[in-house]
Amino acid sequence: MSATALSDAKAPARRPRRSVAAILMLAVVGLAAGAALPMIVSSKIMLSLLAQAIFDALLATSVGFLVLQNGRVSFGQAAFFGLGGYIFGVVVARKLLTPELALLIALVVPSLVAFLLGLVIARITGVAHAMLTLAVGQAFYEVVFRWRELAKGDDGMSFDLPGRLLGFSARSLQDPAVMVVIAWTVLVLALLGITLFARSQIGQITAAIRDNEERARFIGYSTTIPRALVYAIAALLAAIAGVMQAIYNGYIAPQMFHWSLSGAALIMAVVGGAKTIIGPAIGAIVFFYLKDFAGKVAEYWPAIVGGVLVLVTLTMPRGIMGVVQGFTSRWRGSP
Amino acid sequence: MLIQILNGVVYGGLLYLLAVGLVLIFGLREVVNFAHGSLFMVGAYVGFSLAAAGFWWLGLVVSVVAMAIGGCVIDATVFRTLRKQDHMITVLVTFGILLMLETLVTVIWGKAYLRYPVPQLLDGTVTIDGSPFPIYRLFVIAVSIAVALSLTIWLRFTRIGLHVRAASADPRITAIQGINVDRVSLVVVGLGTALAGLSGVVAGPLLTLSPTMGNYILIDSFMVVVIGGLGSFAGAFFAALLIGQIHNLGAIYLPWAATMLPFLLMVAILIWRPTGFAGSRT
Repeated sequence: MSATALSDAKAPARRPRRSVAAILMLAVVGLAAGAALPMIVSSKIMLSLLAQAIFDALLATSVGFLVLQNGRVSFGQAAFFGLGGYIFGVVVARKLLTPELALLIALVVPSLVAFLLGLVIARITGVAHAMLTLAVGQAFYEVVFRWRELAKGDDGMSFDLPGRLLGFSARSLQDPAVMVVIAWTVLVLALLGITLFARSQIGQITAAIRDNEERARFIGYSTTIPRALVYAIAALLAAIAGVMQAIYNGYIAPQMFHWSLSGAALIMAVVGGAKTIIGPAIGAIVFFYLKDFAGKVAEYWPAIVGGVLVLVTLTMPRGIMGVVQGFTSRWRGSP
Repeated sequence: MLIQILNGVVYGGLLYLLAVGLVLIFGLREVVNFAHGSLFMVGAYVGFSLAAAGFWWLGLVVSVVAMAIGGCVIDATVFRTLRKQDHMITVLVTFGILLMLETLVTVIWGKAYLRYPVPQLLDGTVTIDGSPFPIYRLFVIAVSIAVALSLTIWLRFTRIGLHVRAASADPRITAIQGINVDRVSLVVVGLGTALAGLSGVVAGPLLTLSPTMGNYILIDSFMVVVIGGLGSFAGAFFAALLIGQIHNLGAIYLPWAATMLPFLLMVAILIWRPTGFAGSRT
């Protein structure tokens, strides 16, 4: 028995792999469905909720990617979400750089920070890793909470978007019908990117390191850099989500860093099935609507969310995708 | 100066009471109990209700017993059921329990800050080093020392203490030796949560009560556990004293960096020794 069961996870039995063409087809279908969304759903409120659910989905995908590809459970992924949003918000609000450059550094800096952190914390496994990432995330939270000159501390800061960003007008970026398509497209591309990464050579190496670091080192691979690379990619996904949320709301607040957000993202990933690529995103959407529903029904929604979480994890510990896979493998007939 | 150090010892003592509960539970179940801070908080509220009615000491006893029962229920329903699953999933379940307990307390007692009275017996101050020092704070120090001593004796010299140490070292081999690990675990988890309740009541008069009061101290005690080396009792003791001092002296001499210091210390120690002071398993 070890505390690092997620990292010691046995490699799943190899199923016949879909060809790259099939994956690209799926992605194209996904993109087309996203583009059609505003035509199918006309209610602005529905679209707005969906856009926010997709931001969550991207953050959960980031957490899930770290579990899937590195075998490390992070309780502080909101740090990179917040970092992306804050860098973009602060730079744009103070007009330090052009908005495109602001976007670029809001994505590059969190990835770089995660890469450097990854060099250090990748050595720590299991529960200690979860607590350490939690503490790192809270450290960021404390800084923005207390540093009032940066972005008004606890109150959060609204900022005006620049007139144009990457060819979009500022107003259209805050229109749910536009944002939902952008966010959806980003999410589909992110999932596609992760799928291709997992199949690439470097992806295979990181999987080998996850399964048995010592053996991978014995074969002759450097194990630190690939691990840190996975941290950087995960942070990039979280930062994209943070930037999109900051743009959409025109507002940044320390809650973007808070450990309850990191915890929620991890919950979404596990509820959806952290050992699949698409599971965390599905979990996030389900969780988001559950939260929304509970919030409408009762003032005390966290108890409902907590209760459902306890029940779901007790009854289906492998998450939604685990149940789905159970069905499909039975349907195909067990090998 | 002496007063400041004593204040640091007070906070360190509270952290120890929480952290040692986490260590106990981690040792047996390999689970970090995220609900520990909310059990601390619920314990404080339960004690508060009785203390406000004039029964301070009864509040202490009831809170400790109630939290012990709560811990046994959590162990029997959650930890035992999920022991063959990924430990991270169990951690998430404790996170769900945290959400439920916080909401429950908000429903019963509301969100407003409440003031926990000091018992009459311990009201007043003594003069130490020329300055007044509340007797109650000395009581907090005494409680943590008493817990540390009796826990050490219990673990060293009793039969069940032996079983606990064995199960902490390796639950499977202990079970093969014919020890009912589930029964040991029931006792240990109950003891751990009882200590959370105890520290909640003891900390009550020093802090203000709110449904989120457990969160900050939980993160501090996580750091204690990590710095001390996961699963190490002695490590937790020294790390708690260290964090207590840093927390307090930092707030006085380096106020702008005070909240960052424990984090920085933790990262530095983990770079130096990835498994903490006592360097046990992870």
